Amino acid sequence: MLAFMGRSIIQKVVTLFFVSVISFLIIHLAPGEPSQIDPLNPKFTPEMVERMRTEFNLDKPLHVQYMLFYKNLFTGRIVSWRDNQPVLGKIWERFLNSLPLFVVGTILTWTFSFPVGIRSAIMRDGVYDKSATFLAYLLISIPGFFFAYILIILVVTELHVPVIGMETFGVTSASPLVRIMDRTWHLVLPSILGATGGVAVLSRYVRSQMLEIIGQDYVRTAWAKGLSSETVYYKHALRNALLPFVTMFGMILPGLIGGSVIIESIFSWPGMGRMAYEAILGRDYPVILTLNFITAALVLAGTLISDLLYMVVDPRIKL
Amino acid sequence: MGRSNDILLAVENLKVHFTGDGPVARAVDGMDFQIHRRETVCIVGESGCGKTVTALAILGLLKQPPAIIADGRITFDGRSLLDMPAAELRALRGKRIAMVFQEPMTSLNPVFPIGDQIGEAVLAHERVSEVAVRRRVNQLLDDVGIVDPQRRLGDYPHQLSGGQRQRVMIAMALACEPDLIIADEPTTALDVTVQAQILGLLKKLKQEKNMAIQYITHDLGVVAAIADQVYVMYAGVVVEQGTTGIIFGNARHPYTVALLNALPTKKKRGRRLYSIPGSVPHPAYRPMGCPFHPRCEYCEPSCQNAFPALCDYGKGHHARCPILFAARGRAEETRA
Amino acid sequence: MATTANPVDRMGTDETHMPPSRSPWAETWHLLCKNRMALTGLVIFLVFFGVAVAGLTVTSGKDPILDPARVRLQEKLRPPFSAPKTDSLRSEELPALGIYILGTDDLGRDVFARMLQGAWVSLTVGFVAVGIAVGIGILLGGISGYYGRQYIQSGHILFWLLLVLAIVLAFQKILSAAAVLLIVAIAGWLWKKRHDRRVSPLPVCLKWIALPTMQVDTLIMRAVDIMLCFPSFFLILTVVALLPPSIYNIMVIIGLTSWMGTTRFVRAEFLSLREQDFVAAARALGISDTRIIFRHIMPNAVAPVLVSATLGIASAMLTEAGLSFLGFGVPPPHATWGNILSDGKAFIFDAPWLTFAPGVAILIVVLAFNLFGEGMRDILNPKLRERN
Repeated sequence: MLAFMGRSIIQKVVTLFFVSVISFLIIHLAPGEPSQIDPLNPKFTPEMVERMRTEFNLDKPLHVQYMLFYKNLFTGRIVSWRDNQPVLGKIWERFLNSLPLFVVGTILTWTFSFPVGIRSAIMRDGVYDKSATFLAYLLISIPGFFFAYILIILVVTELHVPVIGMETFGVTSASPLVRIMDRTWHLVLPSILGATGGVAVLSRYVRSQMLEIIGQDYVRTAWAKGLSSETVYYKHALRNALLPFVTMFGMILPGLIGGSVIIESIFSWPGMGRMAYEAILGRDYPVILTLNFITAALVLAGTLISDLLYMVVDPRIKL
Repeated sequence: MGRSNDILLAVENLKVHFTGDGPVARAVDGMDFQIHRRETVCIVGESGCGKTVTALAILGLLKQPPAIIADGRITFDGRSLLDMPAAELRALRGKRIAMVFQEPMTSLNPVFPIGDQIGEAVLAHERVSEVAVRRRVNQLLDDVGIVDPQRRLGDYPHQLSGGQRQRVMIAMALACEPDLIIADEPTTALDVTVQAQILGLLKKLKQEKNMAIQYITHDLGVVAAIADQVYVMYAGVVVEQGTTGIIFGNARHPYTVALLNALPTKKKRGRRLYSIPGSVPHPAYRPMGCPFHPRCEYCEPSCQNAFPALCDYGKGHHARCPILFAARGRAEETRA
Repeated sequence: MATTANPVDRMGTDETHMPPSRSPWAETWHLLCKNRMALTGLVIFLVFFGVAVAGLTVTSGKDPILDPARVRLQEKLRPPFSAPKTDSLRSEELPALGIYILGTDDLGRDVFARMLQGAWVSLTVGFVAVGIAVGIGILLGGISGYYGRQYIQSGHILFWLLLVLAIVLAFQKILSAAAVLLIVAIAGWLWKKRHDRRVSPLPVCLKWIALPTMQVDTLIMRAVDIMLCFPSFFLILTVVALLPPSIYNIMVIIGLTSWMGTTRFVRAEFLSLREQDFVAAARALGISDTRIIFRHIMPNAVAPVLVSATLGIASAMLTEAGLSFLGFGVPPPHATWGNILSDGKAFIFDAPWLTFAPGVAILIVVLAFNLFGEGMRDILNPKLRERN
């Protein structure tokens, strides 16, 4: 057990190292020097560019730059090229903004997809299953931003509810209740949008898992014992069908950054996805690299967690 | 037969069809048999002849659709199972009719300890305390010959061998002391030595608990070891029935004869073993007339047209072959 | 008993008692016809393909029938099915069909013509990106699955190091050093090849060249792990933003960042097929590796790969649309559904057709790919097949 953990942690650290190297290389070998942030901007005189180059170690060889960058990253001294603010602090601030969106979206995803998927599997090929299947495909296929605009039109014209941004401008002076309502309304659309794709994919997956398990011999045994259908489906079948989802539990973490770029930029939500988008637009390399590094670390942590969870849940796996 | 009030299970003209892609598959096509109390009845036949489907139909475990029970009656202890409300049928399953499946490796739920799985069968039908259940499970595991049951209770199925798992399956079936156990090839997946142990166990338990057993198998060797009454099935119908002695000593249907010929025995040592040519017809593409005629040595033109009736040889011995029945008549005439 | 022929002889004519046997293709087609959703997907896909090809022919060339780039500022934001104002337009500016089927955009360009042009772009982006991904996936997955147990020797690493160094130097314009390194690398490779053929032991001082370091499989799977650590949309976005905007860059990048699934899948498929009896039999017959791979393993592995490729096309098209939407997509002269939608979002309340026409088109086409792909996955699933 400990040996497994040790081995797996070492492996993940090595992977992380390669990820850091590759992302560093992608950024630095791409055409266009990092220092040419905006050649049209009159503020960037050649002297300024030169100063930036020395300040951010761009005049040093690549491997020295790499060492310096990650040394700064781990000591928390890395700063954004835009505003000279510490990157980690900026990310933390944005992370706190993204968190409610992420939490609500994840809860919606997991609470909706399981009942829908299980019901579909039990009523296989029935009207419910067919319509749920079609709806799932529809939601998987619709471009997120298009769907977002449809919902925005609906909500804005029908319900007259504010949706853009995290809160209505100037609402800070209103009473706490109004503020909470305002923030909730702002949270609804983006988190629903964030969840739809997930619900569609996950419910399909739950359904196919459930279908596979329902056909197993031990489920037939459970029927033959004279158990009620609730016990058969929700105890015997579901418990087995849930096993693979433990793996997915670990994979939620990285969704914090990657999945939300488009939604956050549509809704002007000052979260991590939007931060990434802005950093890419402004070629703010420290922010891009740090975000990338954190995501990769989250992915690896997620896989480690799911491996461990799997061992806890499945009695057949003992290490 | 004077034992008619003693009949536990009667299946009459049962027809189970599978619909779906292409023509209807008549998996069970007019099945008749009876099981008396405390009797071991063997249903024998090659794979694909409808044995398992019959068993699942009795327990109401067929997936409908694709399966349809097109015709027939199943009567258990005087009550029709096919007309029974689902809740009552569920109360009956596991309580009065229990089933042991073919694959012990996959028939136990991998994520629950075996003790819980056996105890669950008790709790589904009886209001008893946790302690009582635990004691019962202990006793059951002891009955089926699991050593040190107290310690094995918490084991997961993957920690047991195939034979042990089948013992657990049997313990689960015995949990509510049913009147009938349907055992669907319980030893097929096991080693020969383990097979003998399981058979011995079933025989012993049957004596102790006064149960009837419906034993489904393709192995005539097993039949000889445990059966009181034998039904030979082919292509969804019973082709011959009789007591074990009659079937083994005096078989009257070409298929039974062929099966017996295909059985390796000491006498046939060193000779090439007989095998029946061809294979069981697909249930959707059965031949006209006698279903066995394309593979039959005694086939006559009439066999290709008319579905044969059961011919009564007396003492409960019936065979579905008029050709041999007539031949026997002629032979007796000439002898006389 | 003259009527009784030997039963074995009669068995020959007994095929009627078995279900008719169908070829795998016929079986697949039969199952596809029964799966109405998948069939609808296929039909929509074929229609879309036809539209894209037709669109390419009528919107390209020197003097296209429907000109997607024709700007008519006086005709901007006309709703769908409106007729052009003939008095204010010159004759060559009139739409060929007499009306604007899908209206015009903020520059008075015919949305229908732009949609037709975009259909082809979307199609090529989808196919090329997935083609690259599947190509890499099959190659790496196949190597990993079939040759995975073999070790990479330190000599191989040295060779690749030299090669990469040479390329880096060449980029730094130190051409002479690069050429020397290249020659050394290739010469070493050739020498090793010749040496291997002679089956004589390596000289002691060069023994280290043949030292085993790491299994091929380990290397490839670690590479997959590494690639999976990158948040894919973020990575694509970063790289697309860094590179000069071009439609080909987008195809290549989407392809280069989405091969991991196929690789894993093909590897698993190869690993299981490699152990099958028919492959063992082929090997026992002395059939060459290449022939085993391409004649015996590949045909069995390729169908599910193509199915996942179908789903991949759907997601590549969505990615392209997303990139265009964020302004990183296909650059302006090309119209794509993504950038028509992106341009239209500013006029969402005044000219909703600019959003809805491309949005609905993307939705329908992606839906068709998904339905067809998922349907085929069901159909090719052996568990479902046996039931018939």
